[in-house]
Amino acid sequence: MSAAATPMSEPAGPAEPSVPAPGSGVSVAGLRKEFRLGRKSVLALDDVNLSTTEGSFLTLIGPSGCGKSTVLRILADLEAPSAGEVLVHGEHPAAARRGHHLGIAFQDAALLPWRSVEANIRLPLEVSGVKADRSVIAELISLVGLAGFEKARPAQLSGGMRQRVAIARALVVEPRILLLDEPFGALDDMTRQRLNFELLRVWSARSTTTVLVTHSIPEAVVLSDTVAVMSARPGRISSSVEIDLPRPRTPEMLRSTRFHELHDELSSLLFAGAEPEAGVEREAVAAGTPAPDAARSPG
Amino acid sequence: MTTLQDAAAAGSGVGTPGGPSGPGGSGPGGGDGPPGSPATRRRGPLADADRSTWLAAGIGMVGLVALWWVLAVTVFSDGGAVPTPWEVLRALWDDRELMWTSARSTVQIAAKGWLIGNGLAIGLAVLFFGVPVVERVLLQIGVASYCLPVIAIGPILTTVFDGHTPQIALAGISVFFTTLVGTLLGLRAAEQASLDLVRASGGGAWKQMRLIRLRAALPSTFAALQIAAPAAVLGAIIGEFLGADRGLGVAMVHSEQALEVARTWALAIVASAVAGLGYALTALVARLMTPWAPRGNPGGG
Repeated sequence: MSAAATPMSEPAGPAEPSVPAPGSGVSVAGLRKEFRLGRKSVLALDDVNLSTTEGSFLTLIGPSGCGKSTVLRILADLEAPSAGEVLVHGEHPAAARRGHHLGIAFQDAALLPWRSVEANIRLPLEVSGVKADRSVIAELISLVGLAGFEKARPAQLSGGMRQRVAIARALVVEPRILLLDEPFGALDDMTRQRLNFELLRVWSARSTTTVLVTHSIPEAVVLSDTVAVMSARPGRISSSVEIDLPRPRTPEMLRSTRFHELHDELSSLLFAGAEPEAGVEREAVAAGTPAPDAARSPG
Repeated sequence: MTTLQDAAAAGSGVGTPGGPSGPGGSGPGGGDGPPGSPATRRRGPLADADRSTWLAAGIGMVGLVALWWVLAVTVFSDGGAVPTPWEVLRALWDDRELMWTSARSTVQIAAKGWLIGNGLAIGLAVLFFGVPVVERVLLQIGVASYCLPVIAIGPILTTVFDGHTPQIALAGISVFFTTLVGTLLGLRAAEQASLDLVRASGGGAWKQMRLIRLRAALPSTFAALQIAAPAAVLGAIIGEFLGADRGLGVAMVHSEQALEVARTWALAIVASAVAGLGYALTALVARLMTPWAPRGNPGGG
């Protein structure tokens, strides 16, 4: 299973596979991914290129089904690319995965219902065979604001609390790269916003190279250094926007003009790159609404 | 595949034992507790449902005994084929030594069969899980063992083996398939996201098995083990019918031939009690070992 992911041509590029290139975070070049669905093959990603610096926060945003999660899963070595080159801090994702350098959180917190909060956070350590340091876990629990809930079972937690556990679990191995696949996607807006700022706090305390997948524009703007906008079928990076809001980011910035400018810029980019069917629909609606006016004006 | 689904449906259908709500009772109390998630809220109504289930079961039992009594003294009073509950109770007491020794022997045989059959089923399921061809072959052997009428292989076993081996083998065969399917379904029931997490953390198939699948399989495995308890008793008794020196099956045949009607009935009640007890004990262990599992739907999730 794991062996299938390993073969990848290591080109004589500037990045040495064994010695991480200083300053390089995620680098993706010419990434292509095909899925086989029965006899047909579907092109999910085509010529995806990304490049970030170490310690930076990159967000992938795009319409659903554009393959943004697939990019993340390839970075996590959960899927193998069909073609192209993917490096995380200069090493292959499989090496990063086996070296326990990855922290990952999904939209579904995916907590094990038979384990307490503490034991859930410990799980990645058990996988890597590292002796769990109780104080490290206690520190993480308080970092994500769950002090007092160490022994609670997932069923006793709210959705937001479960996501906090998932974030803590992703951080417990002190990952070099943090991969977040819509970790707040299932939460209400209020909780989501609060957790965004908590994530920022946790993130800035460690400044881990991070890749976030989301479909929330405000979330992307608040958190990221760079937002890559993806278009659908096949998934491509259609544009990339640098978020120049100063750090540390504050809730007040949500009301700043710059925030709104970036928000608007991203949403227009998103709609421009939306899937064709949706685009046609939107055009039809747009044409439909002003129609009465248009009909009136000549008459 | 249909057999898998059917068995799962059977598992969740049968595995609805009543009883008090799980350890800890109703969710965490206190105003500052976490917001009531669906899971915590579910416990209250469930406890009520449990109580009414018990009440209904009690009323049903009393009604059934009353009906039996009325029929025994009216419709069936002539032939003497249906004794009154009182006569059966007396037979239970008078022949208590026979009841006890027979039941003990049958329970020992059923327990051995249960252990061997389930041990093999669980062991093979875990060992060959995810090995495509072997898993399918294993299931086919399981289906074959399930389709073979126990009554037909019994005589063969009796001629081949001696001692208690045929009875133990029959008890084992009676439980093998359900447990095999229950365990395989359980191992497959692990959440993909949890498996992905283990993999992303650097683990392989073995870590996924050890940390996720084995635990995730427990509820569905226990559902199968629950069904297996009465099945093992039935297998053992059938084995005894076909020839043994003691046991409930032997006692049944003898008392039937001696026209000891009340004793035959009493033996039937002891056999049911033993089977029911096995079921209830497994349910209790399941409840203690899988407190997170949704009650009344052991295979689901």
